[in-house]
Formats: sequence, structure tokens, C-alpha cells
Amino acid sequence: MIEAEFLASLIAASMRAGTPLLFATLGEIIAERSGVLNLGLEGVMVSGAMTGFYISLVTGNPWLGVLAGGIAGLLLALIHAFFTVSLKVDQAVTGLMLVLLGLGLTGFLGRDLVGQVATYIQPINIPILSSIPYGNAIFNQDPVVYVGIFLVPLLWFLMNKTRYGMELFAVGENPEAADTMGIPVDRIRFLAVLIGGFLAGIGGAHLSLAYAKVWTDGLTAGRGWICLALVIFSGWMPQRAIFGAYLFGGLDVLSFKLQAVGLGVSYHFMRMIPYIFTILVLLFSVIREREKFGAPSALGKPYIREQKF
Amino acid sequence: MRIKVEKRLETPKIVYIIIPVASILTSLLFVGVLLLAIGVNPLEAYGVMLSRAFGTKFGFTELFVKTAPIILTGLAVSIPLRAGLWNIGAEGQLYMGAFAASFVALYFYPPIIVLPLMVLFGLLAGMAWASIPGFLKAKFDLNEIISTLLLNYVAIYWVEYLVYGPMRGKEVYNFPYSDLFNDYAILPRFFGTRFHVGVIISFLIAIAIYILITKTSYGFAVKIVGSNPKAAEFAGISRKKIIVSAMLIGGAIAGFAGMMEVSGLHLRLRAAVSPGYGYTGIPVALLARGNPLFVIVAAFLFGLLYVGGSAMQTTFGIPVAIVDVFQALVVLFIIGGDFFTRYSISFGEKGEKR
Repeated sequence: MIEAEFLASLIAASMRAGTPLLFATLGEIIAERSGVLNLGLEGVMVSGAMTGFYISLVTGNPWLGVLAGGIAGLLLALIHAFFTVSLKVDQAVTGLMLVLLGLGLTGFLGRDLVGQVATYIQPINIPILSSIPYGNAIFNQDPVVYVGIFLVPLLWFLMNKTRYGMELFAVGENPEAADTMGIPVDRIRFLAVLIGGFLAGIGGAHLSLAYAKVWTDGLTAGRGWICLALVIFSGWMPQRAIFGAYLFGGLDVLSFKLQAVGLGVSYHFMRMIPYIFTILVLLFSVIREREKFGAPSALGKPYIREQKF
Repeated sequence: MRIKVEKRLETPKIVYIIIPVASILTSLLFVGVLLLAIGVNPLEAYGVMLSRAFGTKFGFTELFVKTAPIILTGLAVSIPLRAGLWNIGAEGQLYMGAFAASFVALYFYPPIIVLPLMVLFGLLAGMAWASIPGFLKAKFDLNEIISTLLLNYVAIYWVEYLVYGPMRGKEVYNFPYSDLFNDYAILPRFFGTRFHVGVIISFLIAIAIYILITKTSYGFAVKIVGSNPKAAEFAGISRKKIIVSAMLIGGAIAGFAGMMEVSGLHLRLRAAVSPGYGYTGIPVALLARGNPLFVIVAAFLFGLLYVGGSAMQTTFGIPVAIVDVFQALVVLFIIGGDFFTRYSISFGEKGEKR
């Protein structure tokens, strides 16, 4: 059964490749649910990737790297939160500048990391599950992959069953009403953006420390933008995000595998696939969205309490 | 204590000058700290930057050569922005323009028609590339920020494919280059430098666009759609037509930038047509607030950065990425500073009823 084995290894690799996307998408879902669009995801992820790589290289501990990646993402998100929530600046402008800032800073500070070898995150074999047929491939992942899977029900619960989730929803849908009810709009939005940045930073660190296992300039290669599309695709629901993330992880893996098999298709065409596919998925999502899933009503709009003159 | 934020009734004019200047200075300060962190004296680095741009004939003409494509990408972002659209895809449109122009340069005949056709194909290719997100936005309300950006990757991989594959030159060793263009496919140069006629054309395009958007009914329609879609609807202006046409104009200008770079500067198609001019167009458009004449001014600032950035790279080994950092910081400081033009801040007692 070579096909089944190939399939199992493909699934396993897709999960690994999809995990950075999953973290960033989940983080962005929280931020966007609160009404704040963070277009800077690409910059946030790449900062996490470089910082994580650097800290792992220096300390020899990839877990400190993952944490540092999260903190780097959080710091960039802090800029976004300060500008968009506190200063009520246009969210698109700030987000776009965050991309430039993240790519610029990592290109500048990471110049000596190119070609270096850090300590990477090692896979863990889950005792019983890995002994079922083909389980060896799928249940032999690094811990960040498992944490990512675990995050999905956790965030679902947080968003749908807790007070914080209700407030998040209220603030993103109708900040005026939420404000009237005494919900601290700005505080909730600020926190949501920070959580989003932290998760995206971890996603970036997983990319450099477990999937790509290397640092190069602009390592994320548009993944942040793909995640922004995945948020729309998921209808702002964590349980859908995981499918999108793994699907795109699979696409990434597949383009390399087909290349290795030598299907005669140019490497460059293979590399185009995720971007074209993202646009198609986005198109599918917006057409479908008209009937059912809506974006948070206040998404992208700064909330300014009514002015008195 | 409670911080109270109120909209200003009027803003002192001087604020509009202070903020950009202060933002540039603050950004230089921040970048200076970064330079110190990697052991470079920032004053020395800035000195090299300025002396390169203003100290030599080559550097000074190079300032114009680098400013010209930034003017064009700045316009390519500005026009859709006036209609309320983000064109983050100028980079890809530039690459497609470069591809189409190179195709004409390498394969078309007779010589007399080549240069005009390069311009035409460059414009059309940029336009065609921008039409995809424009159409998807108008028809399906598909987020143009994401679609324009993703198409950049596709365009860049397309050009890479060509220069590694079918359009790779015969005498380029292993470089991802096409063959050099024939003389008749090259824009004339002046002063024995790289200053080419495209630079002058770029300025003329900026002026033409200024006239288009300030003096014509089309320009007025774009502005209404961008600033007040409801009013546009009442005035009977088709939002969809404006969206698509603004993207097409932006794409055409970026496509021309691509043509200009291969025909005026590289003299061949290569994998790296642009060091990110398409992205630089975004801060330029923001600083210029959509005014094409201010685009020229802002483009000079960033042109200086690129000239200085490459000087700093060759002298101190500082990665050119520092240019991106500077761009982002300037815009962040300016929009942060804008807050103080729009609002005044006062402090009140805690618990005061608002």
C-alpha cells in the first residue's frame, strides 16, 4: 500500500506546513472579531520567525525561541494596537506599514543569521496513536503542531461560551451598543490585537524552527497574506480555520513533492500555485459569504466615542 | 485623571509642516539607533548617503533615475487610493510591464516600431494585471488589498520563470538574465550617465495625472466615489466603472515603470527588475495624500533613500532593508502625528461624566 503510506506522509507534512498558518489565522480571527483588521500579519509573522530563529541559535533552546517569536509578534502588534485602537488611525495604513517594518527590521537585523543552523524543534511520538496503521507518520509531530490543534477547540470555547467571547463579539459587531452596556471597547480590542500578534509570532517561529529550518530574508513569502484570506475563508470561525490552514500547508508540500517527482512542470509555476489558489479560495468565500457568513460588522472601523463640541 | 480626546475645530496650518519634518527627523533618529546597534556610526552613514546623492554627478543623476520609478508607482497607488482602493500590486504590475516590453524588445521587428510598441505593451500589460483585482472588486467586492498583493508573487515568479527558461540569454553565463536589448530598444541617455529620457517622461506623467484628477470631470468622479460613495450614487456616477478604471490607470502607469526600468536602466529583462518600488509607492502615496505633485516631492525623499541605501550598503555593508524600516517609520510617525492635528487632548478628573 504505497499510496496509503504516501498519503499518510503527505497529511503529516501538510499539518506541519499548515501549523504556522493555523496560528496566524487563529490570532487574526480573534483580532478581527474585535473589529480590528491587522493587515500587518506578514510583518508580524516574519518578525516571529527571525526572532525565534535568533534566540534558538543563541540559547540552543528552541522553546525559548518559540516564546521569543511570540513576544516579537506581540511587540509589533502592540504598535498596531496603539495606533489603531488608542490613536484611532486607519487600520489599513498601519497594517501595511507593519509589513514594511517587519520585513525591513528582519532583513536588517537578520543578515548574519542567513546560512546559520539553529537548534530546531524535534518531533514527539505519541505512544498509542502512533502505533495504529499509518499513525506513525501523523502522530509523530513536533509539540507546536499538537498545541495548534488543541488551540482550535480552546478558542472556539473562548469565543462562544465565555463572557470574554461575548464581549469580543459585541465589540466587533456594534461597538456603540457595547460601549453603552459598559463593555470597555478599547481595552478588549487592544487585548485582542495583542493575542493575535502573539499567536502569529509563534506561527512564524514554528516556520523557521520546525518547518523551513532555516532563516532567509522574507522567509514567510506571503504566508501572512494567505492567512488574511484564510480568515475570510473560515468565516471567522476557529473550527474552520484548521481546514484552511492544513489545506494550504498541503499545497505547499505538494508543490515541492511534485517538483521532486519531476512532473516536468517548472519550479516557478509550482511556486505560483498557493497565491493563485488563495485568490480562488477568496473568491469562493466572498460569493458564499453573501448568503451566510458575515464579517464582523465593525471590522476595520475605528471606534470613536461620540464627540461633543 | 482621565484623558479626554476631542476633535479640533480648526488646525493651525503650521502643524501640517511640523509633522512631516519632525517625523522624518524622528525616523532618522530611530534608524540611527539601529545602525549603532550593528556598530555603524549613524552620522557617518548619513554623511555617506548625502555625499553620494549630492556630491557627485553620477550620484545626483542617479537620484533622478531612482526617483522616476517611485514617482510612477506612487501615482499607481495614488489614483486608486483616491477612489478608495488600495493598489498594493504596483510591484507586480511593474514586473508585467517589464516582461511585455522585454518581449517586444527581443522579438519584434522592424526597429522603428519597437520602442513605441514597448511603451504600448508595457502599459497594456500593467493594465491587464491590474484589471484582475479591479474586476474582482467591482463584481464580487473581493478584497483588493489581498488580491493585488498576491498577484505580485505570481508576476515575479512569471518573470523568474522567463529569465531562467525561455527568455534566458545566450551569453549570460548562469545569470537569470535575457540577452541585452538592441540599441533601438533602449531609451536615450544623457550627460554620459544613466539619466534616461524615461525620467523626464515620469515627471510629465505626474503633471498629466495632476491635471486629470483636478481639472476633469473624471477626476472629480473618482474623488466623489472615494470620499462619499453615497453622494456618488445620487450623482449617477457608476462606482464600478470608477473602481475598474482607476485600477486600470494605476496599472498602466506601473506597467510603464516596468518598461522604463528594463529599457532605460537594465537594458535587458532580469529576475530583479525592481528592488520594491511598487511597495515604496504606498508610503509615497500616503505622504502625498493622493496629490500627484506632492508624489514627486515624496518620491525624491525615497529616491534619496535608495541612492543612500545602496551607498551605505557598499560602504558599511548595511542591508538595504534599512530603507524599508525608514519608510515604515516615517509613515507611522506621520499618521501618529496626524492624530494631534485632528484631535486635541485634555486631562480631566476621573469619573467625570463625558
